[in-house]
Amino acid sequence: MFIYITKRLLWVIPTILTVLLLLFSLSYLLPGDPADIILGPRATPEMAAELESRLGLDNPWYQSYLIYLQNIIKGDLGTSIFRDRSVLKVILDVLPYTVILTLAGMGLAVFNGISIGLLAANYNNSYFEKFLTMLSFITASTPTYIAGVLLIVVFSVNFNLLPSIGIGDGGLLDSIHHLIGPALALSVGWTGYIARLTRSSMLETLDQEFIQTEKSFGIPRYYILYKYALKKAIKPIIAVIGLGIGRLLGGAVFVEVIFNRPGLGRLIVDSVNERDLPLVRGGVLVAALLFVVANLIADISYAYFDPRIKQK
Amino acid sequence: MFKSQKFFRFQKKSARVIKIMKKDYKAYLGGSVIMLILISAIFAPLIAPADPYKTNVTKRLEGPSLQNLLGTDSLGRDILSRLIYAARPAVLVSFGGIIISVIIGIILGLLAAYVGGILESIILFIFDVIRAFPPIILILVLLSIIGPSLLSVIVILGVTIMPRYGRVVRAETLSEKEEDFVEAARSLGADNSRIIFKHILPNIFASVLVLSGMDMASMIMWEAGLSFLGLGLQPPLSSWGVMLQESYQYIQTAPLMILWPALAIMLTMLGFSTFAESLRVALNPKLNQEV
Repeated sequence: MFIYITKRLLWVIPTILTVLLLLFSLSYLLPGDPADIILGPRATPEMAAELESRLGLDNPWYQSYLIYLQNIIKGDLGTSIFRDRSVLKVILDVLPYTVILTLAGMGLAVFNGISIGLLAANYNNSYFEKFLTMLSFITASTPTYIAGVLLIVVFSVNFNLLPSIGIGDGGLLDSIHHLIGPALALSVGWTGYIARLTRSSMLETLDQEFIQTEKSFGIPRYYILYKYALKKAIKPIIAVIGLGIGRLLGGAVFVEVIFNRPGLGRLIVDSVNERDLPLVRGGVLVAALLFVVANLIADISYAYFDPRIKQK
Repeated sequence: MFKSQKFFRFQKKSARVIKIMKKDYKAYLGGSVIMLILISAIFAPLIAPADPYKTNVTKRLEGPSLQNLLGTDSLGRDILSRLIYAARPAVLVSFGGIIISVIIGIILGLLAAYVGGILESIILFIFDVIRAFPPIILILVLLSIIGPSLLSVIVILGVTIMPRYGRVVRAETLSEKEEDFVEAARSLGADNSRIIFKHILPNIFASVLVLSGMDMASMIMWEAGLSFLGLGLQPPLSSWGVMLQESYQYIQTAPLMILWPALAIMLTMLGFSTFAESLRVALNPKLNQEV
């Protein structure tokens, strides 16, 4: 296990270096001259040259890349062009909102998904089970943005129960009130997925011999279901949570735009639209790092719960 | 003689799959949705009651009526007709994107499994770099480099999804390669290309087919999401994402309007994913949980 984890960790280093190289090359790939975008049409050539040297665009590319790497190791992600603030500060300001949103979404998905899956496994082969299976298929095929839009139409426009935009005035209750809609929207897709996983995992466990033995001992059915079977069936579900957190980070982009919340996803969308190169680089880098860590946790938890994977 | 025997074996296998799927309500649901989308995409001009691009400012944001069954949008265009025409970009994006990722994925996966060595490491490394980004963010940045158009959306989606196929094809090829029947074929003098085309590809076909059903749903989801953010397909083209974005601006005054493209997207995704699930049960391939 230790060797497996070390190997996976070492493999991440070249990946991250290549990600950095790709992000670095964005300044050559993105359409439009950065100096033109920043300075506007009335810039003199001297101003452009001054700015280019400030952005490090006048060096050969490998030199610039090394400077870029050095700065990143020092924790300097550059300065945002339009916000005129350190990129790291801008990102750190909004990151907590995305983390809270993602965790709340995952929490809801796990709770609702496991509940639906358990019910479906309990009433297997009934019409109720067919209904629940269909429900989990429908939720699994509802994109985050559609869930968000529908929640706004129903709960904000029609019933005026939930706020449709913003994060509230900073009070705890108001923040939670503003979090319900976005977190629900984010959780919908994974609710269906976890429900299906729970159902199949439960059915597989209930089929095993030790359950039959317990039944023959006369242990009550709900006791077998929730104490013995669930304990075993929950392992694959825990294993996908790491994967899910990575996926929900992507979904947060839409939720933050629709509900007009500050967050990493909206920051990236805005900076791409504004062509704010340092901010695009910084935002995508942080998103990729979070994603890689989430995937790493997912891989390791898979290997932990299913030791056969290590050999691959 | 040998060829006809082979054909019968294939027929027998597909007959078994069809027999299992015939008993599954999910197959009917998914199949009919996919048929509906394909028919609307191909015969859009025959089915659509009106011209999807004809504006009429005197009839803006009207509710459903006999003339416009689902009402009109902010420019007075018939929503039903736009909805039907929008099946075209959806079909193009999902089928086009999946063809690109399956072809590149199979080639790279086979190369990795067969050649091995440094080439395998390089290919796996490319997969890992692509997988290091949250898909939606990678798509977003790539689109801002290339610029949004139908073709660039298709290519970018295809490339983003591709590592899934590459990894599955590589893993399954590695395990198929060790099977006895492949050894037997090799000992009878079959060369690599014969083994790949006659023995390995038919056996990984099932996994690839099921995965692509699920991914076609995701591609439609991403295309509509990007268009919704204003970064994918551009108006006036009728696509469900574009319609979603247009009606989102009128969510307070005409909330019913946004329901139609939303339902279309959900139904399409539901169709593809239920059909893929039914296919998975019928084919029962050893699908890798981790991908």
